[in-house]
Amino acid sequence: MSTVVQIENLRKDFGRVCALDGVSFEIEEGEWIAIMGPSGSGKTTLINILGGLDTPTSGRAIVDGVDVGRLDESGLTRFRAEKIGFVFQQFHLVSYLTAVENVMLAQYFHSTTDEKEARQALERVGLGDRLEHVPSQLSGGEQQRVAVARALINHPKLILADEPTGNLDEANEKIVIDLLRELHAERRTILMVTHAPSIGSLADRRIDFSHGRLAPSMASLASERP
Amino acid sequence: MFWRLVFQLLRGSRARLTVAILALVSGAAVISGLLNLDFGVEYQLTQQFRALGANIVVTPQPAESAPESALTNPALMHEGVVLSHLQQIASPNISYAPFAYVVARSQGTAVVAVGTWLDELRILNPTWKLQGNWISARNDQTRCLVGRNAATQLHLTMGSPLQLQYLTRHSECTVAGIVNSGAADDDQIFMSLQALQTLADLPGKISVAQLSVSGNPKLIAGVASQLSAALPQLQVRPIREVTDAEGALLGRIRLLIVSMIILILVLTALCVLATMAALAMERRADIGLMKALGGSISRIVGFFVAEVGVLGAAGGLIGALLGAALSYWMGLRVFGAAIPPRWEVFPLTIVLMTIVAMAGALPLRMLGEVKPAIILRGE
Repeated sequence: MSTVVQIENLRKDFGRVCALDGVSFEIEEGEWIAIMGPSGSGKTTLINILGGLDTPTSGRAIVDGVDVGRLDESGLTRFRAEKIGFVFQQFHLVSYLTAVENVMLAQYFHSTTDEKEARQALERVGLGDRLEHVPSQLSGGEQQRVAVARALINHPKLILADEPTGNLDEANEKIVIDLLRELHAERRTILMVTHAPSIGSLADRRIDFSHGRLAPSMASLASERP
Repeated sequence: MFWRLVFQLLRGSRARLTVAILALVSGAAVISGLLNLDFGVEYQLTQQFRALGANIVVTPQPAESAPESALTNPALMHEGVVLSHLQQIASPNISYAPFAYVVARSQGTAVVAVGTWLDELRILNPTWKLQGNWISARNDQTRCLVGRNAATQLHLTMGSPLQLQYLTRHSECTVAGIVNSGAADDDQIFMSLQALQTLADLPGKISVAQLSVSGNPKLIAGVASQLSAALPQLQVRPIREVTDAEGALLGRIRLLIVSMIILILVLTALCVLATMAALAMERRADIGLMKALGGSISRIVGFFVAEVGVLGAAGGLIGALLGAALSYWMGLRVFGAAIPPRWEVFPLTIVLMTIVAMAGALPLRMLGEVKPAIILRGE
């Protein structure tokens, strides 16, 4: 197994507020990690830095050999397109694009579009009959499945899921969790932020955050390998 | 995918973009109408001013001709010399005719007899009103036209025989029409040049040549200058009152048109700008998402530039078509003659509207500042 994510003494300040304070841990390829902790503990900040949406104040965040903190704007853009697949709590689909076009949009920014592949990705998440529907014609669970298909379409090294079931009912939550299980079974590397212990328990490892640090009881676990 | 997304962008924001396209179509329609008018106004003005009659006169040099004695002892030119040069510059836009004047007598009364090409009278004097018939044969020596004052004085009506005497020679013609010009022509009798030259025993001699050049003042001055160089012994003179008035009016109309076009372009750009500013705010979330998915700012802005480009081109095309109808109507109202659409107005309007739309899309620059992490948090 190779290390996909390597975080060393990562720190992020927003003015006087310290969102991340010397966080260090590693994630191996194929691992499913659950990040947990109260609101404001730094979970989303960590996801943003690993996803190239933000840059650290100090320390290093290395994803698939790339030190995110050293990338310029252009480098971060390519990094996001090639290495990362995002799944957001709010789904974040483009409202005027159909399901298949939302998936193709990620392909377009990565390289070239392949509608057949985009359709297959949606069929895989059970939306073969919803390809031409726009988000307003889809349920929350269906929208999140489109987001999962979009996250997978470019075969990213790391899937970052920020509260992927936070806006879903129980039935749709199960569908999305089953999808994540499938991805894990395919040895995809998943870093998932969640508030739900039941969902967190499905991961290989659980890392708890508190006030921008790894929770003391979890700090040792964070460095353990499954 | 690029154009597919651009189409979806247009479709997705059609309510707001309707405002922008209405502004573009309205602006393009007026601009296209004004451009057609601008291109057509010169022709229309030229036609209008040509109706005022000749705009170049060829006469003997002043030293050879004293105005006060011109009718009694006129200086004359050689018909052949003048006409040979006029033939060299002949074109469909130039009409000309020689004139010879003598004071003859009829029924014991002195009248001014004018010998000319009878068929050109109507062209050189389009404002004349004629009772009777024009004479279409250039050298018709049997018929003549009579000014209304002369007709009254000599008790002539259409079909009346008219006898003229000059010294010991006589000439006779039938009155074909009575001229009402509102000017000195009403006192004159118009007969064929050849008949007058025979009557006055002035073979091959003329007093004046008049030209009506259809074109702008610059063209008229050019023709005058060309003739002047070819006929240095004669005086070639544009009639300044006509050409200067035409030039001044054309200049003023053009200034007005250009000012209005600039004003409308600015107003249209402001309208598009306001719409695009609101649209840019609406699309911040989409831009943040696209950036998060790895979209570079150049590729993302490319969508929106293409979107406004399509809007501008569509607005320009529709507006240009409406403007063609507008200029047609304006021509009828202002000049009494429709101004046909000019093909070059279409691409020009489309390009102008595309530039205006692009200028109006400047607020989209702010999209480059969008921070995806902030947008995705819902802030």
